[in-house]
Amino acid sequence: MDIVVTNTLSKLDKLKILAEGAKYDVSCVSSGSSRKNTSGGLGDSFSGGICHSFTPDGRCISLLKVLLSNDCVFNCAYCVNRISNDVPRTTFKPEELADIVINFYRRNYIEGLFLSSAVYKNANYTMELLLRTLKLLREEYRFNGYIHVKAIPGASHELIEQAGRYADRMSVNIELPSNDSLKLLAPQKNKETILGPMSFISSMIRENRENMKKGKNAGYFVPAGQSTQLIVGATPDTDVKILKLSEALYRKYSLKRVFYSAYVPVSNHPALPRIDKPPLLREHRLYQADWLLRFYGFRADELLSPDRPNLNDFLDPKCDWALRNLHLFPVEINKCDYETLLRVPGIGLKSARRIVVARKRSSLDFEDIKKLGVVLKRAQYFITCRGKSYCKLKMNDQFIFQNLLLDGRTESTRHSAPAPEYEQLSFLLPARNGYGANELHSGGILVGGFANMIPQAEKFKSITGEL
Amino acid sequence: MMRETTCYLYDGSFEGLLTAIFEAFTCREQSIRIASEKGLQHNLLERYVTVETDLEKAKRVYRSILNKISRNALDNVYRVYLADREEDNAGIIFEYLKFGWKVGARVDSYLSDDRVLRVHKIRQRVDLEVHRMMGFVRFRLLQGGIYYAPIEPDNDILTLLAPHFSKRFADQSWVIHDVGRDRAALYNKKEWIIVDARLEKIPEADDSEQTYQELWKHFYNSVTIKERFNPGLHKRLLPKRYWRYLIEKDGIHGI
Repeated sequence: MDIVVTNTLSKLDKLKILAEGAKYDVSCVSSGSSRKNTSGGLGDSFSGGICHSFTPDGRCISLLKVLLSNDCVFNCAYCVNRISNDVPRTTFKPEELADIVINFYRRNYIEGLFLSSAVYKNANYTMELLLRTLKLLREEYRFNGYIHVKAIPGASHELIEQAGRYADRMSVNIELPSNDSLKLLAPQKNKETILGPMSFISSMIRENRENMKKGKNAGYFVPAGQSTQLIVGATPDTDVKILKLSEALYRKYSLKRVFYSAYVPVSNHPALPRIDKPPLLREHRLYQADWLLRFYGFRADELLSPDRPNLNDFLDPKCDWALRNLHLFPVEINKCDYETLLRVPGIGLKSARRIVVARKRSSLDFEDIKKLGVVLKRAQYFITCRGKSYCKLKMNDQFIFQNLLLDGRTESTRHSAPAPEYEQLSFLLPARNGYGANELHSGGILVGGFANMIPQAEKFKSITGEL
Repeated sequence: MMRETTCYLYDGSFEGLLTAIFEAFTCREQSIRIASEKGLQHNLLERYVTVETDLEKAKRVYRSILNKISRNALDNVYRVYLADREEDNAGIIFEYLKFGWKVGARVDSYLSDDRVLRVHKIRQRVDLEVHRMMGFVRFRLLQGGIYYAPIEPDNDILTLLAPHFSKRFADQSWVIHDVGRDRAALYNKKEWIIVDARLEKIPEADDSEQTYQELWKHFYNSVTIKERFNPGLHKRLLPKRYWRYLIEKDGIHGI
C-alpha cells in the first residue's frame, strides 16, 4: 500500500496537536499483560501496570496517548476532531511516531503506546496505518512494551485481527450509552459498527485462549483484553441505563474495563447540554458503582432501578445500598463470610481479606479492624465485633445518613477518578437554596430536615445530565 | 540503681544487622536493643557493644528465617531494613523475628498483632516507593551511549529497582544514581552491580537529548484537561519531593 502523508509540520507540532486530540480518551491503563522481553529486544510489560507521571488534573500518564491522525471524515457532535471543527489537522508518519515511542520508552517516560485515530479517509485506510505503526514497533524495533490500539469502527475483520496480534489491549469506544443518543450526536456511527468489532475481538480472544490451553503455539492475541469508553453527561441517559450496559458488556464480551468520561464541553452543537464544568461527581459515582459490579459481587439492579435511575450524589453507592437494606445489618465481623464483609460500607477488598486471615488467629474487636484498614467512620453502623456494636444509640437510616454526610466532608478520595473539591466542601454550605432536593436526591432517601446540607441546586443540575 | 540496657551496634549492612540479631538472640540478657552505628544518638543509660559483622552468623540467621519462618518473612525483614533509618528499624525487625521464631510460617497472618503490623506497614511504604520509582525514574542519554538517571528516594531501594530495569532495558547501558546516598546501580547489558560512588563528573548529554525532553514536556502539557484541574489530587499522586528529577515538572535544566 502506498501511503502519502503530508509532512509540513515538525514532529513537535504534530505531537502537540495529536496528543491534544487524544486526551479525552480516559484509559491509560497499562496492566494485565506480561509480555516478556525477547533476547536482543527492548522492553517488557509489567502486569501490574506502572504510572510514569500524573497530569495536574490528577490522571495517570502511563502510555504515550496520541492520535495517528486528527483529520477526521466523521462529524460526531461531542468530539473535538469532528470535521466541522476548525482545528489544525495533521497525521503522523508511522516512522515518526515509532521514533518518539522508542525514545520516550528508553528514557522511562512511558510504559508504551496508546494509539487511536480519527477516521482518516476511511476506516480501512486508517486501520492500515495503525497496523503499519504496530508492525514497525514490534518487528523492526523489537519493542515489547505495552500497546493499546483502537479498533476503528467499520474497519475490516482481517485488519482488526492482524492488529490484535501486535497489541496488548484493543478497544472500541461505545461513546454514548444508547442508540438514540448515537443517532443524535454521532450520525455516522451506530450500534452495529461498534458492537460488531467488539464482539469479533471478544470471540478472537476466547479462541486464542483455548488454543493456548491446548498447547498450540498460538502467539499473543490482545493478552490484556479489551476495554471501552462512554461519555457521561452529554445525553439524557440515566445511570441505570449506563450501569446495565456496563454489566452486559462485562458479561457478554468479557470486557476488562468500561471507562466513563465526564463530558467536557468542546462544542456549541444545539443537541449538546450547556454546562460550565464536566460532571465529575457523576463520573466518580459511576466508577464506584462499576467497582462494585466487578469486584464486590453487586448486580446493577441492586444499586439502581427504573424508579431510582441515578446514583446518589451525597453517598457512595455502597453506603446508599446499605442504607436501603438495613434489615441485612449489622453483621458480625468475626463470623460473617467474605462476600458479606465485602458488602459492608467502609470495608474494601484488602481489609475484607485481612479480616478473614486475622480472625483465624484471634477474635477481632473495633481497635483491631481499624488497624486492618477498615474505615470505622462508615463501617460502625453496619457491624458488630464480638456481638457488641460501636454505638449505643438506636439507629435508623436518617440518623446514619446524616452522620455519613457529616463525615463525608473529611473523607478524601483515594480512587482513580478525582472527586472534585466543590463536591466535598459544598456538603456543609449553609442553605442558599434548598429547592430541588428531592429531584437531586435520586438515591431514594428523602432528605427532609437536612435541606441545609443541600448544595446549590444549579451546581448539580449538570451532574444529573438533564437537558 | 537503674539497670542499663545493652545496645548492640552493627555497621549498617544487612549482614551486620543479621549478625547483631544472632548475638542478641543467643545471649540471655533481657533488655537488649539493636541499632545501626550510622546516625546513632548516644544515651547515658545504655551500654554499647559493637558487633563485628560475621558472615557465618549472618548466614545462619538468614537460613533460619527462611527455614523456620518463611521466604516472605525474609523479604519483609530485608525491605524493612531498606526503609529510611529514622525509626528503630532494627528493633522492629528483632521483635518481629522473635515472634516469628515462636509461631513459624503463620507469623504474617497475625495481622492485628503490633509486632507484625509495624513490619507490614513499613514494607508497604517501601513497596509503594519502589512501585512509584519504576515509573518516576527518568533517564537521559549521555554522550557515549549511557543512560543516566539521578534519583533521591526516601528508602534505600536501588537493589529493588535494578532487577526491573535490567529486564526492561536489557539492551542499553544505564546508571541509576541515588544522589542522597552516593550509591549507584550500574548495568552493562549483562548484569547489574551496586557501587558506592560520588558521581561528580557526569558526561555531557547526547545531542538528541534536548529534543526528546522538549517533546516530552509538550506532550505532558498537551494531555492535561484544564476543566478537570485538581492540584490536591495531583500532589497526592505525584508528591512534590519527587519533582526534582521529573523533566515534565521542569526539574533540573540541561544536565
